[in-house]
Amino acid sequence: MPTSPDSSAFPTPLTAALPTPAPLPPMHESRRRLGVRWLVVAQVLFVLGVAAAGYATAALGRIITLRTTAIDPRDLLYGDHLNLNYSISQIPGHLWRGSSVPRRKQAVYVVLESRQGNYEAVAVYAQEPTVPASQVVLRGWVADTFRRSMRLRYGFERYYVPENTGRKLKPKQSLRVQISIAPWGQARIKQVDVLPPSPVPTTTP
Amino acid sequence: MSRKVVETDGLEWVRKGIISPEQHAQLLALYPAEQRAIGLLPLLGSLLIGLSALSVVAANWQEMPELMRLGLLLGSLTGAYAAAEYFLRRQYEALGMGLVGLGLILFGAGIVLTSQMYQLIGYDLTGLLAWAVVGILLTWLYRSQFVFLLTVIIGGIVQGYNTGQLGVFSYFTAALTAGGLGYYWWRRPDSLLGGVLATGLLWQIALLVNHLHIKITWFFVPAMLIYAAGDWQANRPAGRALQGPPLVAAFLFTLGLALFGETETYAGELRPPLLVYLAALGAVLALSLWGKHTRGRLSSATDWLLLLPGFYLPGGLPLAVATLVVLYAYSGSVLARAHYEQNQDRVTLGTALFILTTAVAYFKLTWGFMDKSLFFLLGGLLLLGLWWFLRRRATQTFSVKAPD
Repeated sequence: MPTSPDSSAFPTPLTAALPTPAPLPPMHESRRRLGVRWLVVAQVLFVLGVAAAGYATAALGRIITLRTTAIDPRDLLYGDHLNLNYSISQIPGHLWRGSSVPRRKQAVYVVLESRQGNYEAVAVYAQEPTVPASQVVLRGWVADTFRRSMRLRYGFERYYVPENTGRKLKPKQSLRVQISIAPWGQARIKQVDVLPPSPVPTTTP
Repeated sequence: MSRKVVETDGLEWVRKGIISPEQHAQLLALYPAEQRAIGLLPLLGSLLIGLSALSVVAANWQEMPELMRLGLLLGSLTGAYAAAEYFLRRQYEALGMGLVGLGLILFGAGIVLTSQMYQLIGYDLTGLLAWAVVGILLTWLYRSQFVFLLTVIIGGIVQGYNTGQLGVFSYFTAALTAGGLGYYWWRRPDSLLGGVLATGLLWQIALLVNHLHIKITWFFVPAMLIYAAGDWQANRPAGRALQGPPLVAAFLFTLGLALFGETETYAGELRPPLLVYLAALGAVLALSLWGKHTRGRLSSATDWLLLLPGFYLPGGLPLAVATLVVLYAYSGSVLARAHYEQNQDRVTLGTALFILTTAVAYFKLTWGFMDKSLFFLLGGLLLLGLWWFLRRRATQTFSVKAPD
């Protein structure tokens, strides 16, 4: 009873295994070692791939500038990051171009256009639109809906900063963030600058 | 039987003359002592060294050049797996599997920290999905309980992150957990893993129901599908363990219905389209009964009492009373079956369920119109009486089993 007809592998068809499943034989030692080796290589390659995607997004992406403020920069804990609130995070309801009412957590496409150097939202679609070269499309998610507006999330609301950088910032400090949008849609923060009106004119990396 | 039983009870058997001291020694030889106790010291030692290294790295993480951070991540990742292989080859099972688990955790940390380094956090879900995939593959490669447990947890974390942060439910992750780990459990049935797997899958189902904004009663269709898988499992204890979490969920839900079902608004929140829901649940019921029949366990079909969709009844007292009747029928059937099978643990469970149901029923039916002191007095007397009756019943059942 304990021997399965083909001890070579586990993919016995489920239906065949239903009446009385044959106990799984232990993995052959050499096969297991080989499998583990490939799996470790795959993990290393995957982490390297993430890093490569980061480099590529910055190198090949189109760079746009957004206005933002940091939320509670003083509330930074160890392993610092800033929570950023963009001007394009709050979208007035009249920019919505979808056919049905936006729902929470729905994926949306935000069309941005440059206004005096900074990009601002001009329309929000439920499906990805095609836009002229002067505009860019950014993917986001509906975080919350209100009567006349909605709040969106883009995935770059967090900026990881070197320790203590955050403490130089004042609450409600205006910031300018450079976002790099890769041709395949991935976006990442490239740089965060403190805007001049503040008494701290230095830039953070 | 484990070595521990032979060690502790064996001396008693020798004293009673059931086995000779030689036989005791032979039995002990059948169960060689594991190296676990010895394996624990290096495990603790390496854990401390690892922690110290971790704190040094964490303190200087931000100042390190990116390439060095990447190197450190990948180095510790490969190091953990290599060390695991080294110790496994020398028969240090616990330590080896601990290191495999460490490698898996480091892979997840590697993905998160690398995306953090390049400010890539929160965009897509492939990164964390890869984490779950690697966990499943490792479970299959090492046939390890520990890695299985870790992977169930990782699957839950990945899905929680997907729905919570990214606003998407990854059906692929759910199918992967159910398929990859479920099939593993199917082929290597195990009680602990069954319970953990069912809990992990229920968590993902709950996330899905919440994500889709559908009536929470839909939860029970996939949940009972897990239950039905337990019916088909040849290994009875493992199948029962898989069925535990869905049953607990169904019982708690029914208990809640008995307590709050009276208000029409609550009951109204629970009603999916009648025909579709009943058809879906009925299909699962058929599958479950078929399995029970095939494995000769039809007596456990009473579990399905909890799934009677009483919430379609008009709200108000009729609903509360009907639900209480169902709860009594269920806990009574658990008790009856436990007595029939002479299963002490299940008698305890049945007793607890019965008393809980009585408490709810009593509270529900009398709180409104009875003087409070009388309420507590009668309630106390009722529970004491019930306890006495059930005890007596249990003693009767088990006195037959233990001749002195």
